[in-house]
Amino acid sequence: MYRIRLHGRGGQGIQTGARILASALFVEGFETQDSPLYGAERRGAPVSATVRAARAPIRERGLPARADLIAVGDESLLGVAAAGVLRDADERSWLLIRSGVAAEIWRSRLGRSERVATFALEVEEGAELPLVGAACAGAAARMLGVVSRASLESALERELAALSAQARAASAARAFAAWDELAALAGCVTEEPAPIGAPLPRPDWVDVPLDPADVAAPDIRVPLTSVQVRTGLWRTLRPVIDDALCRRCSWLCSSFCPDGAISIDPDGRPCIDYDHCKGCLVCAAVCPPHAIRVEREAGRATEPEKVG
Amino acid sequence: MSDADEPTRYRRMQDLPSTHLLGSGTSLCAGCGGLGAFRELYEVLGERTVVVNAAGCMSLLATHPFTPFRGSWLYSAMASAPAGAQGVRDALDILIAKRRIPADEDLDVVVLTGDGAASGMGLSATSAAIDRGLDFIYLCYDNEGYGNTGQQSSASTPHGARTATDRGPRGYPGVKKDLFALWVANRPAYAATIIAAEPVDLARKVEKAKRMKGPRLLLALAPCPPGWGFDPKDSIEIGRLAVRTGVWPLLEYADGRVVRTKHYEPRLPVERYLERQRRFAHLFEPRRDEQTLAAIQTAVDEACARVT
Amino acid sequence: MSRVLLSGNAAIAWGARLAGVDYVPAFPITPQTEIIETLAGWIGSNELDARTVMFESEHSMLTAAGAAASTGVRVFTATSSQGLLYAMEMLYSVAGWRAPFVLVNVSRAVAAPVTLHSDHGDVLAARDSGFLQLHAATCQEALDLVLLGYRTAEHPDVRLPALVNLDGFLLSFTREPVELPDPELARRFVGAFEPGASAFRASRPVSQAVAVLGGGPYSYFRYEMHRASEHAGTVFADAAIELEAATGRANDAVECYRSDDAEVVFFLIGSLSTTAKDAVDRLRESGTRAGLVRPRLLRPFPTAALRSALHGRRAVAVVDQDLSIGSGGVLHAELAGALHGQAGAPLLASFIGGLGGRRVGVDELCSISGEALEAASAGRPPAPRLLYTEAELREVRKLQAIAHEERHR
Repeated sequence: MYRIRLHGRGGQGIQTGARILASALFVEGFETQDSPLYGAERRGAPVSATVRAARAPIRERGLPARADLIAVGDESLLGVAAAGVLRDADERSWLLIRSGVAAEIWRSRLGRSERVATFALEVEEGAELPLVGAACAGAAARMLGVVSRASLESALERELAALSAQARAASAARAFAAWDELAALAGCVTEEPAPIGAPLPRPDWVDVPLDPADVAAPDIRVPLTSVQVRTGLWRTLRPVIDDALCRRCSWLCSSFCPDGAISIDPDGRPCIDYDHCKGCLVCAAVCPPHAIRVEREAGRATEPEKVG
Repeated sequence: MSDADEPTRYRRMQDLPSTHLLGSGTSLCAGCGGLGAFRELYEVLGERTVVVNAAGCMSLLATHPFTPFRGSWLYSAMASAPAGAQGVRDALDILIAKRRIPADEDLDVVVLTGDGAASGMGLSATSAAIDRGLDFIYLCYDNEGYGNTGQQSSASTPHGARTATDRGPRGYPGVKKDLFALWVANRPAYAATIIAAEPVDLARKVEKAKRMKGPRLLLALAPCPPGWGFDPKDSIEIGRLAVRTGVWPLLEYADGRVVRTKHYEPRLPVERYLERQRRFAHLFEPRRDEQTLAAIQTAVDEACARVT
Repeated sequence: MSRVLLSGNAAIAWGARLAGVDYVPAFPITPQTEIIETLAGWIGSNELDARTVMFESEHSMLTAAGAAASTGVRVFTATSSQGLLYAMEMLYSVAGWRAPFVLVNVSRAVAAPVTLHSDHGDVLAARDSGFLQLHAATCQEALDLVLLGYRTAEHPDVRLPALVNLDGFLLSFTREPVELPDPELARRFVGAFEPGASAFRASRPVSQAVAVLGGGPYSYFRYEMHRASEHAGTVFADAAIELEAATGRANDAVECYRSDDAEVVFFLIGSLSTTAKDAVDRLRESGTRAGLVRPRLLRPFPTAALRSALHGRRAVAVVDQDLSIGSGGVLHAELAGALHGQAGAPLLASFIGGLGGRRVGVDELCSISGEALEAASAGRPPAPRLLYTEAELREVRKLQAIAHEERHR
């Protein structure tokens, strides 16, 4: 069975990408399964979707324990432990990263000796089309080596039918560009053989103790714990205050930030809390002297976690 | 002079609280107009509050073990947040009357609800709380649909808006329920419309409401980037346009009459507001729907003519 | 202690009064309304230092009950039938808040068709909600179980709301002698309500009833409710012993009447159990060793006590005053689950009786005990039976003849 996971951010079309890939495999005659992982995801928040494909009916459901291919639509997620991109990557797993940085650099960053591939795709911020998802599907399909170009085309037709012809064409073009880019790696991802009958270890079950109700009710008695949630990870664009242009008006950006992520220091200087700024850019939009510029977040990916 | 007539602390933007009382790190969308309004309100209202939350976007403000509140919070259910507020209010009154807790342990009780619950399932509980003269503040963030589930139409959806359940060429066929008028007809202690884009007006109204007793409505239009279809950075701009076109007049009801708290004359044509949102795009493309545009403008003109 | 004539509803109201409740959120429904009217009367005349608030629905009433208990006052409320079902979402919610209070349900069969009379279709719909469930057989028990309900619900290791059930009309509107405990004794027995660390106070912010992400935390919090409910069995038993010492009245989780040497046992709940005792005595007089095993406590389900009480009996006639449509008797399924695989477990025979207030007679109970014993001899459980007579069917046919126009043509 093939087990493939797609990662990206809310709004990039990752779920659609999974549907395109599954659909292409289905057209090829595979039994398939695709499912998004639903949480409280919002635009920009890390999201993922799973595709399974096999020659026999698929009985597994839910999150796979491991993946043969992990397609990453947003390289900044590799630096985000909470996104769980590499949580269960093993030496058999292929890693496909949408990035302008070469694969060998990613190998060295991630501490992997092999099995890292990249593809490039520039997407305008705020694009409403599932361009990233479609490109991930095209690249992944090529790496599997069992999907024909015609099947991919048919899958794109099916899964993007609700879009306008123009939008469909734009997404398909990205998918085929990625397909072409991965030609050298066609068929590199192989099916994991069915497991042989080794005994499974016993789960380490415990008897849940009877806790006092004060402990065992879903209450929170410490204020402001939400600051431990780093919603800054949602950000794809970063507002940066230009000190020279800032007039120290000390209220507009801070007052209008819906998340309260801009504070004013004792000198009257606004400071952005990048751990929590979601990148909505309301601050940049309301700043009278245009002292807040916008930078892309992708190139600023924090140092990725080491694998293994 | 009653407490409510005391002079305001909020005359200019600089007078607004500079400390953000509500914690960051919540899972609400980037650019959320509801969160913006609630955060601004919370800063004035303060932490001696218990917020009773109806199911909606704000249900996930607190997710175990993370809470953004400095004060207290109770998640109730979709239909009955005002009844939960009644239970807390009554219990605090009883505890103080029976001297089981000192009076300084008292809290202001606030209902936090979306428009779906407020104008639909929760309406009878709200109406009954007003009937009983419950001493509470009722904050409705009105994003004009069931936002948390993907913007299906609610009774608060404006005429002509496309929603997930009104995908046809004319959008939502109904007319937005006038929750403000419903409250005013029940003669509450206070009622006002507010918006995050007008923080001084908002702060003054919250300040005024806080000094009063009885049922008090604060109804906030909550521009919703994913639900209405606009870039998150435009959240404040859309709100300003809602006020300046007269779509969202800033009103206040007290002492038996409704007044307008902020005038923008001449009003901008409603098109300036509508054309910025994808939910109204079908009114402009592929051809202008003059009839619907005129109907919307007329409705706004008539509503504005009714208040001075 | 004084002995007075009280209806079940009045006995319940006395239970709430003696428990010293602070807050009574209310909504009327027959046959419960009398309870809240009685309490409102005492509040009005300052005989009870509490507040009552009329809500617009049972859903809101239950929300307020849970919210007030979560803020730290002793709450009492009551409902019945459709009202219980209308509040059902909040039953599950407030139990999850770990908000302890007492909700009385005066059993009334659920619509459709509408009726005012009693069966357990309403209360058994709430059995998985997290509420403790206590079933009264007499007006005296109705009062005692309210006191025991508060003692158990408010225990810091339990903190789950308790539902006390009494049968509509058969208890609610029936007066019988009830011993009123001395108010001081009752006050000491129930004790003061000590709200936990999560009650809402300005000095102590708390977020209550918070959402979780993922099955791990959810499993923990729900399972803790289950552990707490199981533990409530011990807390209830200890409290019942204490109450018995003070009043002489036993309120064990399971009442066993002449069942020690019985070959056939009736298994049922509520006020029908006094009729069943009559049947037991008659059967004993005619040479059949009959007995009654009747749970007062239905949640937590007293599995161990029932296994022990029924061990070595030949047959059990389970009389359900409820019907799980498409399955059968709820108590039968619950008891079968508890006894399955137990060595020496008796044969179970399932009977549905008492739906919508239909009277179940001693004659019927005597007959079904025979059927159960015959089945035990044959080694095969009989098909479930609705207790229903030819005369009753004839009566329905007459009604249908009037109702269906075509029959007149």
